[in-house]
Amino acid sequence: MFSSSLSLPGKRTTGNSVRTQNVLAASSIANIVKSSLGPVGLDKMLVDDVGDVTITNDGATILNLLEVQHPAAKVLVELAQLQDQEVGDGTTSVVIVAAELLKNADELVKQKIHPTSVISGYRLACKEAVKYIQDNLTLSVEELGKDCLINAAKTSMSSKIISADANFFAAMCVDAANAVRVTDNKGQAIYPIKAINVLKAHGKSARESLLITGYALNCSVASQAMVKKITNAKIACLDFSLQKTKMKMGVQVLVTDPEKLDAIRARESDITKERIQKILNAGANVILATGGIDDLCLKYFVEAGAMAVRRCKKADLKRIAKATGATLLSSMANLEGDESFEASSIGEAAEVSTERICDDELIIIKGTKARTAASIILRGPNDFYCDEMERSVHDALCVVKRVLESKTLVVGGGAVEVALSIYLESFATSLSSREQLAIAEFAHSLLVIPKTLAVNAAKDATDLVAKMRSYHHSSQSKPEHANLKWIGLDLMEGAVRDNRQAGVFEPAVSKIKSLKFATEAAITILRIDDMIKLDSEDKNTQSYQNAYQCGQLDD
Amino acid sequence: MAPNVQPKMKAFETKSKPAEIRSSNIEAAKAVADAIRTSLGPRGMDKMIQSGKGDVTITNDGATILKQMKLVHPAAKMLVELSKAQDVEAGDGTTSVVVLAGSFLEAAQKLLEKGIHPTVISESFQKASVKAVEILEAMATPMKLEDRHSLLMSATTSLGSKVVSQHSALLAPLAVDAVLKVIDPLKDHDVDLRDIRVIEKLGGTVDDTELVEGLVLDQRSAGSGGPSRMEKAKIGLIQFCISPPKTDMDNQVVVSDYNAMDRVLREERAYILNVAKQVKKAGCNVLLVQKSILRDAVSELALHFFDKMKIMVVKDIEREDIEFITKTLNCRPIASLDHFLPEYMATADLVESVPTGTSKVVKITGIQNVGKTVSVIVRGSNKLVLEEAARSLHDALCVIRCLVKKRFIIAGGGAPETELAYQLTQYAQGLPGVEAYCLRAFAESLEVIPMTLAENAGLNPIATVTDLRNKHACGFKSSGINVRKGAITNMLDEGVAQPLLVTTSAITLASETVRSILKIDDIVNALY
Repeated sequence: MFSSSLSLPGKRTTGNSVRTQNVLAASSIANIVKSSLGPVGLDKMLVDDVGDVTITNDGATILNLLEVQHPAAKVLVELAQLQDQEVGDGTTSVVIVAAELLKNADELVKQKIHPTSVISGYRLACKEAVKYIQDNLTLSVEELGKDCLINAAKTSMSSKIISADANFFAAMCVDAANAVRVTDNKGQAIYPIKAINVLKAHGKSARESLLITGYALNCSVASQAMVKKITNAKIACLDFSLQKTKMKMGVQVLVTDPEKLDAIRARESDITKERIQKILNAGANVILATGGIDDLCLKYFVEAGAMAVRRCKKADLKRIAKATGATLLSSMANLEGDESFEASSIGEAAEVSTERICDDELIIIKGTKARTAASIILRGPNDFYCDEMERSVHDALCVVKRVLESKTLVVGGGAVEVALSIYLESFATSLSSREQLAIAEFAHSLLVIPKTLAVNAAKDATDLVAKMRSYHHSSQSKPEHANLKWIGLDLMEGAVRDNRQAGVFEPAVSKIKSLKFATEAAITILRIDDMIKLDSEDKNTQSYQNAYQCGQLDD
Repeated sequence: MAPNVQPKMKAFETKSKPAEIRSSNIEAAKAVADAIRTSLGPRGMDKMIQSGKGDVTITNDGATILKQMKLVHPAAKMLVELSKAQDVEAGDGTTSVVVLAGSFLEAAQKLLEKGIHPTVISESFQKASVKAVEILEAMATPMKLEDRHSLLMSATTSLGSKVVSQHSALLAPLAVDAVLKVIDPLKDHDVDLRDIRVIEKLGGTVDDTELVEGLVLDQRSAGSGGPSRMEKAKIGLIQFCISPPKTDMDNQVVVSDYNAMDRVLREERAYILNVAKQVKKAGCNVLLVQKSILRDAVSELALHFFDKMKIMVVKDIEREDIEFITKTLNCRPIASLDHFLPEYMATADLVESVPTGTSKVVKITGIQNVGKTVSVIVRGSNKLVLEEAARSLHDALCVIRCLVKKRFIIAGGGAPETELAYQLTQYAQGLPGVEAYCLRAFAESLEVIPMTLAENAGLNPIATVTDLRNKHACGFKSSGINVRKGAITNMLDEGVAQPLLVTTSAITLASETVRSILKIDDIVNALY
């Protein structure tokens, strides 16, 4: 009744209906991505309003392209993006868990349990779950040996389009990640996977993708007359263009004598020529520039037998500079007020060559001096395939990075979720407060992962989950059965198996973070009991006048 | 007016009767109070507001909710102002002040129906609020700033109702430390919260929120080859640009000779180099540059020189941050190159650019002669949580500020309101005339706070409030509603306390707003 007297320029909904509405929106988001979970999950084809097609299995990508309107659903989309940024993998599962948590919480609220009780229960459950994973369910990399890295990458890839060649790509990702390893100033090894340049070229089959221990640059040499291959390359990285000099704004060239016109024109090109000469004199034979290089100037390089590349991406050059030991110069000015090019800013590599892949020419820098680099060239029958491969490789690289940095793994295939669910159920019974019910629901919600996995594989979910539960129960209650805690799903056979032996691994960080994020998102949505949607402002702004005339103020 | 006569003055077309107007105003204001009632207290819920542009805010803070709601009714707008006033004055209790005002209005409406004149009601409410403040001051416990326990207690109480409540163990001490650090010992009865810089950074969780003693700049270090870490830093803060100079008037440089072309280029280099050398000569190795919209604050060429000289450059410092930075670093902003002297610079042990989440911040630590300022980096896993965390932290800081201003605390959980209701009723009984009647209504309406707390917590409001009233009648002044246990307990023992200033300012502001709403008997809509 009071919503009418609360004269708002918009719509307002309050109470339980808001929660139900939000939960519904969240569930429908989760339902969209549900069928893409797991090794037998299927892909989505998304067509946007321009007609661009994306085919993907990656939760974050699907949700990004959906352009969700509902504010509560947006929270879930952001959740997926966050998981993508922080972990890189597990974007689908985090959304599914969050939606399931919400659905069960809504049921509890309908049974007259106060949302704040549910929230505190969820928080407690999340904390316990994280602790349990860390104490009981993790495996260290040392314990499992080097294969586990490849296995973790394979697990991440198993749900993707490249699962058939998972062995091949997993090895590639592990090698690539190892190649970009650096030690930070605290002495810890970090793996900046952004430094791995992933290039796509369609044509040939996926199996012919290759890893280059070096840097592949998606540019071609500036002139066809240049040499195609230089060994013992001396590389100069320039962040400016080598074009005819232009005067700054506000500088006008005024020529009175037509004779002088030529002199000025000559000077324009001479300034650049002198620069090039300085660079070449310093010993550089590969010149990479972010700006343009005039055709006029190219001949100097050709004459000197050097290779010049124009319009490189700045990000690429930064990485090349790091790998070869060069300095990316933004200007040639020195501290004397003149221009010079110092030999110390030149980097070195064993070989720089241009190669033809598909229709494009690539410049490949091998044997970099300062540190190793890695680039992956993906091949595939069509562009969509290549795009999806890139996303899958990115996920796998993230997983490898997490494992290398954190050195802990958990077993995949729903094993962790079932173990947590059993543990939390028994934990719930040890509490006598209202939170008990919420924790039990949390435990119940986690089972959505193994269930969805089984359903997607067209297996009997109820039967499989029941089997897993009984195994995990005995592993937690009887010390002699402790090894049963690695029991997870085998979706090909539709049976349960020891996933530790089968080599299905996920990084522990990914599991822990996704649990935390999902809980936080669920709580954010649960706490809302009132939604106000204001009308868009471009409509005539509603004044008191209008409201009065429309009779909204009458009681 | 005869039925056939057209009104002559169009401007007064919408004039209505006083009683109607009053009731319309009261209804509108009450509706606002009702709308935000559910977010009161530790079991209060959040509101999700989607603005016309599609931005979403999820919040529990009364002032923010009302600001976002874009109400149109003029009386409702007064309540929005009221909540803003409380936000400025006390910083916390923005929801309760509106709920109180709504309840006062309801009481006033009943009194009006009985035929009491609005001015009489207004006068008595005024009297009641003065008396209420007296009573509150009498029941408050004085505290000292050294009493960390009480400070923590108040901050925790304020955070209790927010989404970040489970992080209150981290945020409460942080708020206390932050405020205590910036207190000026000479003028220790007020705190300027502008001395506490809150920086919001996406990524990580609220647990990663940290207090930095020193300075945090959310710009990253500029340049590609320059240092991103500098020990034993000499920091210079400049307000001029290091780029080719421009005159104010339109100017043209005319070149007519090819030799002159070289000179133009060389002059620019020489000019920038001169600036860079001066900076180096003064011993500066970290340069903070104010943002400029007229030309590049630092040109590419200048950055190149600074990279070569191993000087770290942070550019795009906002104009309004300059004051805070100078205060923290104890340096002077340098407005022209001639003044670039060592004595205007600040010294710090370490200047470092650190990655936080997806971006980087520059941290300056170990500053010599550090000023009385602190920086807080708030982290959150998504934008909505992050913004709400920053708002909650602001509330907690305000609560501590209130305690610095007025060093008294009282119990929370509806205890002061119940006590007031009890004592005011007693006081009213000793008064003659209509006033007593109004005062009693005022007293009763104060019970809306415990009532709402109980309601939001899912307790039986009638049973809880009567029980509470009984406890207070027996002399247990600190009894309040323990929402977690669902019982009546001594709130001070439970660690639920709030500054006196929050409650007194809420009651004073609410009653004043109610008085002004009561006094309105006409709305004239000027047609345009």
